[in-house]
Amino acid sequence: MQVLEKTQEQLAMQPQTLLTNLPLPEVLEQFAQQNSLLDKACFAVVGDLNLTGKYGQGALLFMQNGLWVYDSVARIEPEYFAYADLHDVKVRRMYGNALFQARDEKGKRLNLLRFTYAAAEAAEAGAQFVQSCVDDGFSPALIEAVQAGFDRRRAFCMRCGRQLRKPDAPCLNCENKTQTFGKFGKYILEQKWLLIFCLALSVVTTAMALVPPLVTGHMIDTVLHYGQLDMLLWMVLLLLGVHLVQFSVGAVRSYFLRRAGSRMVVELRKDIYAKTQFLPMRFFDKTSTGSVINRIHGDTSVLQQFILRITQEAVVQLFLMIGLMVIMFSLNWRLAAVSLLPVPLVVIGGRIFGKKIAPRYRRLWRRGSAIFALLADTVPGVRVIKAFTNEDRAIDKFARYNEEWYKEDMVAGKIASIFPNVMTFLVTCGSLVIWLIGGRWVIDGAGAEDALSIGMLVIFITYAGQFYNPVNFFANLNDGYQNALASVEKILDILEAEPERDFGKGDPMPDHLQGRIEFRNVNFSFDRSKKTLSNVNLVIEPGDIVGIVGTTGSGKSTLINLIMRYYDDYEGEILVDGRDLKEVDMAFYRSQIGYVQQEPLMFRASIFNNIAYGAGDVHPESVLYAAEVANAHGFIAQLPDAYDTLLGERGTGLSGGEKQRISIARAVLKNPSILIFDEATAAVDSETEHLIQDAIERLIRGRTTLMIAHRLSTLRKANKIIVVDKGEIIEFGSPAELLALQGKYYKLVQIQSMAEEAEKQRAEENF
Amino acid sequence: MAIRYIDGPEARITDHDGLLVDVEFHHGETFTALEPRRLFPTTGLQKYITLLDDEGKEVAIVRDINTLLPESREVLENSLHEYYMIPKVQRLIKMTDKFKIWMWTAETDRGTYTFEIRDHNNTVKPLYDGRVLIKDANDNRYEIPNIALLDKRSQRMILPNL
Repeated sequence: MQVLEKTQEQLAMQPQTLLTNLPLPEVLEQFAQQNSLLDKACFAVVGDLNLTGKYGQGALLFMQNGLWVYDSVARIEPEYFAYADLHDVKVRRMYGNALFQARDEKGKRLNLLRFTYAAAEAAEAGAQFVQSCVDDGFSPALIEAVQAGFDRRRAFCMRCGRQLRKPDAPCLNCENKTQTFGKFGKYILEQKWLLIFCLALSVVTTAMALVPPLVTGHMIDTVLHYGQLDMLLWMVLLLLGVHLVQFSVGAVRSYFLRRAGSRMVVELRKDIYAKTQFLPMRFFDKTSTGSVINRIHGDTSVLQQFILRITQEAVVQLFLMIGLMVIMFSLNWRLAAVSLLPVPLVVIGGRIFGKKIAPRYRRLWRRGSAIFALLADTVPGVRVIKAFTNEDRAIDKFARYNEEWYKEDMVAGKIASIFPNVMTFLVTCGSLVIWLIGGRWVIDGAGAEDALSIGMLVIFITYAGQFYNPVNFFANLNDGYQNALASVEKILDILEAEPERDFGKGDPMPDHLQGRIEFRNVNFSFDRSKKTLSNVNLVIEPGDIVGIVGTTGSGKSTLINLIMRYYDDYEGEILVDGRDLKEVDMAFYRSQIGYVQQEPLMFRASIFNNIAYGAGDVHPESVLYAAEVANAHGFIAQLPDAYDTLLGERGTGLSGGEKQRISIARAVLKNPSILIFDEATAAVDSETEHLIQDAIERLIRGRTTLMIAHRLSTLRKANKIIVVDKGEIIEFGSPAELLALQGKYYKLVQIQSMAEEAEKQRAEENF
Repeated sequence: MAIRYIDGPEARITDHDGLLVDVEFHHGETFTALEPRRLFPTTGLQKYITLLDDEGKEVAIVRDINTLLPESREVLENSLHEYYMIPKVQRLIKMTDKFKIWMWTAETDRGTYTFEIRDHNNTVKPLYDGRVLIKDANDNRYEIPNIALLDKRSQRMILPNL
C-alpha cells in the first residue's frame, strides 16, 4: 500500500543529498547502500506502480554511465543497464499511467518503470538525461536540467505533504493563519480610521442594547408596583432616548462600515486586475479566463465579508457577550447560571446544523452553476440552436437542470426551515426553565429581603434571549473562516504569481528599432512532454518581408509568440538589432510591433476608439489616415454613425473583413518597426482579401514584416520564406531559391496552384 | 479516404508486446505494432476501438469488440486494459477536506492509493447511470462504477459532496 502523505513525510525527513521525486524503495536503498552507489548516483526516479499496472513500487537510479532498475514484481533484484546499450529512451504516456521505455541492442523494447502521472515529469526529465548521455556523454549541466523536471514534484509542503501553488510557496495549511490574512493587512490598514470609528459606534450600540431590559425591570418592580405615574413617563422617555441613540448610531455605523468594506474591495480588485495585466502568457494558458474573472469579482467579496465579520462583528459580539455575562452575574449569579443552561445545547445544535447544511448548499451551488454553464453556452450560441432547430431539446435540457436544482433546493429548504426553528425552540425552552426556576424563587421568597423580584425575572429572560446571538455567531465562525481561506488561496494565486520579467525595467533602446531579428539555437516547449520548437536558427534583416508557411500545429504561431516575447523560458538566444531580447525593455519593444491576428479582437467601444486603442491622445485625422491606409475608411464613412459607431461584444455588426481592416488601421496608427500578420486573410472572401492585401502592401513598406499564411498567394511580396515542420525550420530562403530546391515549399506551391486552378474553373462554369 | 472498419472475423488480432497489437486481414494484408485506443473512453468501452500505427495514423476501427474472434478479443481487451488505467474505487478508506482540496485514500482494483482532488466541482463528475468519474491533481483518472453499490460508510463520505 502506498500512502502519499506517509511517503512525503519520509521524503521530508530524508537527507536531501540524493535528488529524487519520492523516497527510494527500501530494497533499492539497501542495495545502493551495500554497493556504495548512493554517493555516485546522479538522481533517482521512483514510480508508484509496478510493471503489472497495480499500485506498487519501482525505481530507476541514474548513474553517470548507466542506470539501476528496480521493480517490486518484475525486478526484485536491481538490474543494471549501461546507457551505451540503450536506444530510443522515452516516456510513453498512456491513459492515467506511463512507461519509461528503451530498446536494447537488438531493438527489443524494454519496459523499465511504470508510474501514474504523479511521477511523469520526473521520469521525462530522466529520459532526456539518458538520451543526452547517450548522444553527447555525461556532463554535470545535465543534472541541472533534471532538477527543473523535479521542480513541480517538489512543489509540496515538507511538513504536511499538501501540494503548493508553486515551488517554495508558503503552505496555507501550515503557515501561520494570521500571516496568511496578514497579506491583506494593507487593505485593512488603509481603512483603519473608519474601522476604528465604526468600532467605537458599535460600543455605543451594544451598550444601548443592554439598557432597555434593566429599565423594564425597574419599571415592573418599582414604577408599576408602587404606582409612580410621573416616573413612568420619565422611564418611557428614557427608553425612547435609548432606542433613538441605538438605532440612529446603528444607521451611521452601517453606512461607514459599508463605505470601508466597499473601499477594501475596490482596492483589492484594482490590485488583482492590475496584476493580471502583467502576468505571463503561461499563467493564462493554465487558468481559464472565467476563473480569473470569478476571482476578481466573487472571491474578493467573500474575503471582504469575512474581514468585516472579523474586524467588526466578532468584536461587537464579544463585547455583547462579556457585557451580558457581567451584568447577569452581578445581578443574580444563581439565576445567571440557570439562564446559561441551554448554551451547550445551542452550540452543539448550531454545529450540527452547520455540518448538515453546508454540503447541501454545496450541492445546490453545483446545480446552480450547471444552470449557469448551460446559459453561458446556449445564450451566445442561439444562432446555432436556431440553425439546427434544436430549441425544444435546449428547453428540455434547461428544464431538467432546473428541476434538479429545485429538488436539491427543497432538501436544503427542509433543513434550513426545521433547524433554526428547533434552535429557537431550544432557546424558548431555556426561557421556560428560567420561568420555572426563577418563578418559583419569586413565589417562594415573596416578602423576604433577598427574594427575586418579578422585574429581575423579566430582565433575565430578555438577557438570556440576547445571549444566544453571540453564542451562535462564534459557533459558526469557523465555517466562514474555511470559506474565506479558500478564496484567499485563489486570490493569492494571482497576487503572488510571478509577473512578466522586467516589464518596463530593461534597457531602453534608441527611438526606433531597425527590425533585425536573429534566432540562435532556440528550443522551446509548452510542457516537458513535447518540444514545440527545436534548434531554430535564422536571420531576418531590416525591411525583409518574411512568409512563414507550414501545416497546422507545425510551430508557426509559437515562433511569433517568441518574437512577441509572450514566453521567456526558451533555450538559446533571440537577438533584436543585435541585442538579447530578454534585455530589451519589454514595454518599448512591444510598442514597436504591430500585430494583426486572424480573428481581430474588437472592444465594446466606438470604431474611432477601437482604431485608436493603445495610442493615447491621438488626432482624429491620424485615425482617418490610418483607416484610409487600411482600406477601412470607405466602409466606415458609409455607416450611419461612421466613426462613432458603437461596436457590440467582439465587434458584432461588422463583417470579418471589416474587423480585419480596423485592426490593420490600429497597426498603421502605431507606426511599428516590425509587423506581424498571423493568418490575416484566412477567414475572408477573395474580394475582401484583395482589399486587405492592398492595405497590407501599403503598410509594410520599409518595415520588417512576418506573415503567417496558408494561402501562398498572400505571400507574393515576400522576399524570404520560412518553412516550419514539426517544430523545425526545414527550409529558409528566397522563394526562387526554395522553388529551385524542389522541397516542401515547392510541393505546397504546386498543390495550391492546382487547387486555385480548379477553383477558377469551377467559378467560370458557374457564371 | 473512407474509414476502414473491422466488423468481425475478417481480421485476426495478435499480441505484439503486451501493449501493441498486430493485425492480419483475411486477404493477407498485415500491420504490426498498432496501438489500440478507445474513441469513446467514457461512454463506449467496448465499441469503436481505433488502431493507430507508430506515426499515429489510423489503420482501422474495430466497431465492436464483442464481434471479434475470441482470441483477438482477448488480445485487444488485454492491450486496452494495459493502456487505460482507470482504477475502480471499491471502498473509500479516508477522506479529508481542507480549503476545498480533498485528499482521498481509496481501495481500488489496482490496490490502495492516496490522491488529491483539486477543484472538485469540475474534476468529480457524477453521471446519471450511477458512475462517478474522478480526475486527481495529477490528471490521473478513477471511477466509481456505481455509487449506490458502495458500502454505507463510503457513501456517507462522498454523497453529501456531490
